Amino acid sequence: MPLLLTEEEWRGIQAGVAQRAELLERVLADAYGEGRLVADGVVPAGAFTGSKDYVAAVRGIRPSDGRWLRLYAVDIGRGPDGRWWALSDRAQAPSGCGYTLENRLVVSQAFPDLYAQLNVVRLASFFRSLAAGLKSSSRRADPRIGILTPGPLSQTYFEQAYLARYLGFLLVEGDDLVVRDGRVFVRTIAGLKQCDVIWRHVDADWCDPFELNASSRIGVPGLLEAIRNGGVAVENMPGAGLVESRALLAFLPTLARRLLGEDLLIPNIATWWCGQPHERDKVLDEFDEIAIAGAFSDDLLGVSGRSSVVGSELSAKERERLRDAISLRGIDFVGQDIVRLSTTPRWIQGKLEPRPFVLRVYCAATQDGWRVLPGGFCRISDRPDARAVAMGEGVESADVWVLADSPVEVSTLLPSAESPRITRLLGNLPSRAADNLFWFGRYLERAEATLRVVRCLSARSVDPDTPPEPTYRSLDRLIGVLVGWGAVDPATPGRGPIPASEQGLRSAANYGSVLSLARSARDAASVIRERLTYQIWALIDRLEIALKPARARPSAGELIDLADEALTTIAALSGLFDENFNRGAGWVFYVMGRCVERGANTCRLLRQFAGHDATEPSLGVMLDLIDSQITYRSRYLVGMALAPVRDMALLDPFNPRSVAFQVNRIDEGLGTLPVLRRDGMLEEPRRLTNLLQAELTTERAEALNDARILTVEHKLLALANAIAVRYFLQGAGEGRAEKFTGFE
Amino acid sequence: MIYSITHLTRYTYGAIVELTNGVLRLAPASGNGQEVERFGIATDPVSQRLTERLDPFGNRVFNLRIEKPHRQLSIIASSRVEVTRAPSPTRSPGWESVAAEAIAIRSLDADCPAVALYPSRSVALFDEATAYAKRSFTPDRPIFDAALELAQRIRSDFVYDPEATEVTTPAAEAFDRRRGVCQDFAHIMIAAVRGVALPALYVSGYVRTVPPPGKERLEGADATHAWVSVWCGATLGWRDFDPTNGGSVQNDHIVVARGRDYTDVSPVESMILSSGRHRLEVEVDVIPAS
Repeated sequence: MPLLLTEEEWRGIQAGVAQRAELLERVLADAYGEGRLVADGVVPAGAFTGSKDYVAAVRGIRPSDGRWLRLYAVDIGRGPDGRWWALSDRAQAPSGCGYTLENRLVVSQAFPDLYAQLNVVRLASFFRSLAAGLKSSSRRADPRIGILTPGPLSQTYFEQAYLARYLGFLLVEGDDLVVRDGRVFVRTIAGLKQCDVIWRHVDADWCDPFELNASSRIGVPGLLEAIRNGGVAVENMPGAGLVESRALLAFLPTLARRLLGEDLLIPNIATWWCGQPHERDKVLDEFDEIAIAGAFSDDLLGVSGRSSVVGSELSAKERERLRDAISLRGIDFVGQDIVRLSTTPRWIQGKLEPRPFVLRVYCAATQDGWRVLPGGFCRISDRPDARAVAMGEGVESADVWVLADSPVEVSTLLPSAESPRITRLLGNLPSRAADNLFWFGRYLERAEATLRVVRCLSARSVDPDTPPEPTYRSLDRLIGVLVGWGAVDPATPGRGPIPASEQGLRSAANYGSVLSLARSARDAASVIRERLTYQIWALIDRLEIALKPARARPSAGELIDLADEALTTIAALSGLFDENFNRGAGWVFYVMGRCVERGANTCRLLRQFAGHDATEPSLGVMLDLIDSQITYRSRYLVGMALAPVRDMALLDPFNPRSVAFQVNRIDEGLGTLPVLRRDGMLEEPRRLTNLLQAELTTERAEALNDARILTVEHKLLALANAIAVRYFLQGAGEGRAEKFTGFE
Repeated sequence: MIYSITHLTRYTYGAIVELTNGVLRLAPASGNGQEVERFGIATDPVSQRLTERLDPFGNRVFNLRIEKPHRQLSIIASSRVEVTRAPSPTRSPGWESVAAEAIAIRSLDADCPAVALYPSRSVALFDEATAYAKRSFTPDRPIFDAALELAQRIRSDFVYDPEATEVTTPAAEAFDRRRGVCQDFAHIMIAAVRGVALPALYVSGYVRTVPPPGKERLEGADATHAWVSVWCGATLGWRDFDPTNGGSVQNDHIVVARGRDYTDVSPVESMILSSGRHRLEVEVDVIPAS
């Protein structure tokens, strides 16, 4: 249920938010610049330095285009009389505007007619201006812009990935960036490429381990030096979070008059910082009628688990403690007037109930001044308590519709006619994206191979036609493969094919089980979320859900069904990639990952089932595992024989399952990638594929033996390593050092 | 007193290191009764140009960058420093008036008290430390006397025990155990002093050790040391106290860097590209020249 606002009401909000953004911009410029506010006694130094986002190291730096804030947000609440109040400011890296876009998508699809009739003001042009604003802070005409994320473990990663895809920016982690000679570069498969603008989503203290928190592994060593050199624009500037503290609210009315010559259009909640003796005494005197909150943090010393309390609601003991703490270290506390909020209807247990809400409004610095997002992020409280202090984080979000008086101009993120330059490929692929696409391919391929082994094992264990093999024991060897791949615990295979199949499919404890591989594939994919479509995600999720342990002790038939379903999902995923993934460098890495893995797996299976001691049934298993039974029977009418099976699996360039076919595809892929060497020599991965191609083309199936097959397997793994060294570790060094590149 | 100081840091790596990047905070501070006559850093292998900057606390910081593959890295900082500090004051203002003054000082400069009032990365404030401080910070007591007594109490109430804590142990934990090393004692004293709303900073440096009677001075046996600086009002400024040795800081201490806690001043901070483990050796010599 969206919150509806008229255009008239919205105009008031817009002006108030833009004014506030400008005010805070000027406060930041002074606090880190000239320092007049402190020197003239307008703001006590301690009201700045108490913020964990006061970054003394940026004092004296002039941001590359003079701005401290690019995107700013403020939480506002509406009083019962209809007046809006500013409750708190967000200036570090305001989150939620990506969700606003998503919310809008969902709600507008749920109520399409309503949406069209109500003249709801669209959001897209705001994001277009924001992107243009970010671009304008670079000196280069066509700047490379990265969204710096703390990584997939961060709560807001999804939103950052969404924005990266929506705006066409790179999504980068600290590891992807290196500082050289005062400039910032992205590690890409074509070497280091300059990154001009960083939209920062990493907290200030963590963004440069050299000058700030040395224990940070998510930052970029040397980033502040690069900012100082003018080599990169970082937005918002590290240190901008300073203006979020409640202590500063106490000074904003005065600051507005001093810095803007105006009164605040949207008033603050009246706030008193207890670092000043007069204000502290007032707060202690009016203790029972006032809300007490942390001046700089959400932890209220002495009252655990609450960020804000009302004096009269405390127990005698808590009261005493808090009053003592305020008397001793008033600098940690503010007193605030209690403001009541109006409500919005919320659907609770089948009926509409009034609940208080706050609205987060976003404001961006653009070339045409401050622009306010027409809408926002509405958080609705789970409690009926309408005091602003009791708001907490809220539990539900709602879209915000601004209703225009006249029909709105429909705009999407299409850029205006003069700007776009035709591009077919998205610049140079960052090394991390390449790395993860490669591994995504490998995990998916290994999952497929494991599924085929499990399927074959379950099927043959119950097949009455399976001939007895006293000397060879195909079933034991299939289990052996699963053990070798880490899909089955080596301590338990003795219990037979069915338990082994079940483990191989979905034991979360074994790193090589199909379930674990599906999860690894998902983890690799989550790092490149912005490059994958929703359908691909849905299939990745389905693969995992299908395998999750449902019932204990499934029968052989049920295991076969599970394996078939998972194989179908992987086939669908492969198909979706084939049909939809851009044939750029990213595609090449995904394909190379699959091919390297498939080639190495086939070699391994050949040694088990088509080695020197192969039997007719074991050759049948081999053909099952590489899905080539039908081709074989159409070519050879004589039954199973060693050399033809080996030829088909290893050397035959026409069989898409053969090792030779994989090597040819890798070589073809490598040929399309950028080359760093300028001396005309082959780069190592290419040299290795050429070597393998020559061997496999000239080899005769009759002359093969186990040792030769093992050599080919080793060369494929060496090729995987060479690819990692050449493309993924590119200029790495500052940051995570270990990187494992082999599978076994 | 004039000192010749050498400070050697040596990393030995288990595997080849392709690249080392880092920052060094090894230059003794000038001012406040210290005069640096000579200072130099030498590294092996040789670093790319060592660029220097001043950090927000006025410390000299050097950027280190070694691009040549290496298995060992030695960093030698050597200096000659003259130390002549003003004697301890006989009178100082009451601590409550200093607390009020600290908030009112209109400055954000490197030596301003405002940055030293709040909890920092590795010094959280906790009730036990505040209560511990209050026993010395009694109403109207002169700040210098109260801080000195606090340092002396830490010296007698806590046990020096290098096994008890690590470099990342929080002050509250060391306080509970009543054990630790100079870093822990400094963090505890900072938490205590900030707990009563007074500005306190962490100081890293060297202290001259006097060999036991009849014994020779052992080479390389001196150590880096840490203590606490307390802001004693605009007139007296920052005054240093050593909770490990239980006294105020006079001419046996050589200041290298100041910051909110250890994380602001750690002498060598490096990042390497390698996969192996490493071994670290530190040798310090503080030799009185006159």
